[in-house]
Amino acid sequence: MLNTKKLWKAISVGLCGAALTVMLAGCGADNNSAVDKGVLKVGVTNFADTLEPTQNFFGWVVMRYGLGECLTKFDEKMNVQPWLAESWSISDDHTTWTFKIREGVKFSNGDPLTADAVKKSIERAFEKNNRAATFFKYKEIKAEGQTLTIVTEKPMPNMPGFLADPLFIIVDTSAEGSRDFAKEGPICTGPYMVESFVKEKAVMKKNPNYWDGEVPFETVEIPSIDDPNTRAMALQSGEVDMAVNIAAGDMDNFRGNDKFFVDEISSLRVVLARLNQKGILKDDKVRAALICGCDRETYNNVLLKGTFLPGKAPVPPSMDYGFDQLTDPNAYNPERAAKLLDEAGWKDTNGDGIREKDGQPLKLDFVVYNSRAELPLYAEAVQADLKKLGFDINIKTVDYNLVDQMGIKGEYDLLISNITTANTGDPEIFLSWYWKTNHNGDNPQNGSGYSNPALDVKFNELAAEFDKSKRRQLIIDIQQILLNDGAALFLGYPQTNIVSNKALANVKMYPSDYYWITNIIKPAGK
Amino acid sequence: MEILYDYISWNKQGDEEGMNYAVKRFIHLIPIIFGITFLSFLLMYLAGSDAVTEMYTNRGVEVAQEIIDEKKAALGLNLPFFQQYVNWLWGMLHGNMGVSYVTGEDVLTAFMKKLPATLLLTGLSISATVLISLPCGILAAVRHDKASDLLLRFGSFLGNAMPNFFVGMLLMEFLGIQLGILPVISSGIDIKSAIMPTLTLAIAMSAKYLRQVRSTILEELNKDYVLGAKARGISYQVILWKNVMKASMLTIMTLLALSIGSLLGGTAIIESIFMWDGVGKLAVDAINMRDYPIIQAYVMWMAIIYVFVNLVADLLYHHLDPRIRLGVNAK
Repeated sequence: MLNTKKLWKAISVGLCGAALTVMLAGCGADNNSAVDKGVLKVGVTNFADTLEPTQNFFGWVVMRYGLGECLTKFDEKMNVQPWLAESWSISDDHTTWTFKIREGVKFSNGDPLTADAVKKSIERAFEKNNRAATFFKYKEIKAEGQTLTIVTEKPMPNMPGFLADPLFIIVDTSAEGSRDFAKEGPICTGPYMVESFVKEKAVMKKNPNYWDGEVPFETVEIPSIDDPNTRAMALQSGEVDMAVNIAAGDMDNFRGNDKFFVDEISSLRVVLARLNQKGILKDDKVRAALICGCDRETYNNVLLKGTFLPGKAPVPPSMDYGFDQLTDPNAYNPERAAKLLDEAGWKDTNGDGIREKDGQPLKLDFVVYNSRAELPLYAEAVQADLKKLGFDINIKTVDYNLVDQMGIKGEYDLLISNITTANTGDPEIFLSWYWKTNHNGDNPQNGSGYSNPALDVKFNELAAEFDKSKRRQLIIDIQQILLNDGAALFLGYPQTNIVSNKALANVKMYPSDYYWITNIIKPAGK
Repeated sequence: MEILYDYISWNKQGDEEGMNYAVKRFIHLIPIIFGITFLSFLLMYLAGSDAVTEMYTNRGVEVAQEIIDEKKAALGLNLPFFQQYVNWLWGMLHGNMGVSYVTGEDVLTAFMKKLPATLLLTGLSISATVLISLPCGILAAVRHDKASDLLLRFGSFLGNAMPNFFVGMLLMEFLGIQLGILPVISSGIDIKSAIMPTLTLAIAMSAKYLRQVRSTILEELNKDYVLGAKARGISYQVILWKNVMKASMLTIMTLLALSIGSLLGGTAIIESIFMWDGVGKLAVDAINMRDYPIIQAYVMWMAIIYVFVNLVADLLYHHLDPRIRLGVNAK
């Protein structure tokens, strides 16, 4: 038996040795944050294969990484602010926009930013991506010194908002001959420039020619960590200093932890159920009952663990469109809901728990797709709450591809969506798509049959209104009308977050998803 | 005498038969590849969505239908399912694996670029598995039903019960965050970054393999010749190392060869979790984006690996075990 003893000993010695190595290595671990050495490490998820800003949506990444800048940008309330353009104005006929390009701005290669460079860059975006034309169509772009003029065919009230889209990142087109923008990164005006880029990891370095103050870090390393758990762990272990969009389940590790700073805001999205007014839901009282029978506070705070804010209005509170001043006549109130149904003539006559009227049961189809995890949860919660009131909600799960067509054709009673309300800073498109009257298919997205002439008047005013504060008021009015009419069930607004360790200062999440790495992010205490 | 004659004559034809066998197995590969690529194509199609929809709608903005249609037409995604498959197959038969729908990169180039990382991870995991499970398995068998055997068996049940992504998370929490000695995310394809994914894969594999080693040796130890040898006064060490191990090794090697296939497949999730930039992660990303050509390349790679590894294991058995060879000939 000697040999087995030897074997056993050998294994024990081996295991002890391994444990010792682990401990020794632990002593030598580098606990100093890289931030002190001028290196910022950011954990992100990157979907871009190249850095060509006109390819697909890759411009988002060019902007998120602190590389590219536009003429304008969105602030924390989605208001349009000057960026590379210092100011702008519009002609009296509303078709000529004049932008004053900021003086003294240089591209990272040292070339000056002129109106001509901006013109070529915008033209390049139109040439390379047909999505550009879906924002606006121009008749002519003129450049003179630092003055850029854009002449459009139709009045475009939201032109400054359109130009904040990363598709219109200003690049130095004259550098393109000697440089592969896709692989080596475009020449832009942001605080950082590309040292190396692959989808899995980008390394940025300081732009020596940056125009807007000192650039705080020599190097920015940006690994793309697609798995959300891994991203949270990399932040905890100090391998990254900040990370974007930490998952709900991991947030508790960071909230209330004095080593981390959490910035959590509601995004620009809304989750809503469209209500088809061609069937049972034609009756205002039934719609009102349905809406006020849904306990949206509980769905968002308990079921979704606070990762969504409770819904009320079409436009989320992250934007300055009067969220707090809007009143929801159909706030949660199950007693009122029951009363409304009684008044509308829906009663449970056969004792099966489902109400009937004229022999027809109160049965509704709720169309749901499940490519987003929260949608089935919402649908089931609504189903359970409404069951108590005597609704029979039939959840129909379909593929995402079908949802759009079903929405247009109106093949639903309730139809769930998770959509962006105002990518360009203005919710006009979103609101009119779903609720402006659809006359014989002239507004196909409104397949619900909802129509309110008073609302259409407001929409028409909005389309021609250029004054910012008047536009804001119109959008508030439109939302209030929709709430009063019980036009849809607004379930919640997804939150978005950025978490950083305390070695950093000024890390901030914006409702618009474009500004992650900025020149205001600095080492703490400097 | 007759048996001896058979044996000699088989050895003469042996090489030739081995070759035929290998060729036959490779011919079997053809229907397998057709079937498997068709099925994976069909499943992706039935799963709904496509690369263009994923590219545009997941960004959360409204994109005009004309733009989506135009892009779909450019990639041939508007064609009927069967035609899409035939187009892909036609290209493949002409040595053209196509280009990625998402990146536009040549599939073969993209694939070959990521392959070394996966092969390295696989190689390391197999080595670690052998290093852990062989000594432990032998120990468990020799100390049958003693404390060390029970402990090892308990460990092996535990290892089998935990899914490997969970093991990965535990290792990250313990080695990466609590002790802070290893990086949570790989900083490139290097040994330090490879330790955690290797351990994760090796723990699950070893748990399974340890039990196989243990039972193989136990079975051998219970054979009559061991009792006979003991009766003749041959020392236990000699019996164990010279006879039992020799006889068990063939089974052990075969089992190991077979598990390489499942290991190469099992790396996909681990690569994604640890940001290990190999073909597994490439495949997971491609599935999320419905990038058919890349998925097809991965599926073909897996099919070839499985068939090839099985073939090697068969040939190994065939060649090393005289009993099998004679059995074949006796037919």
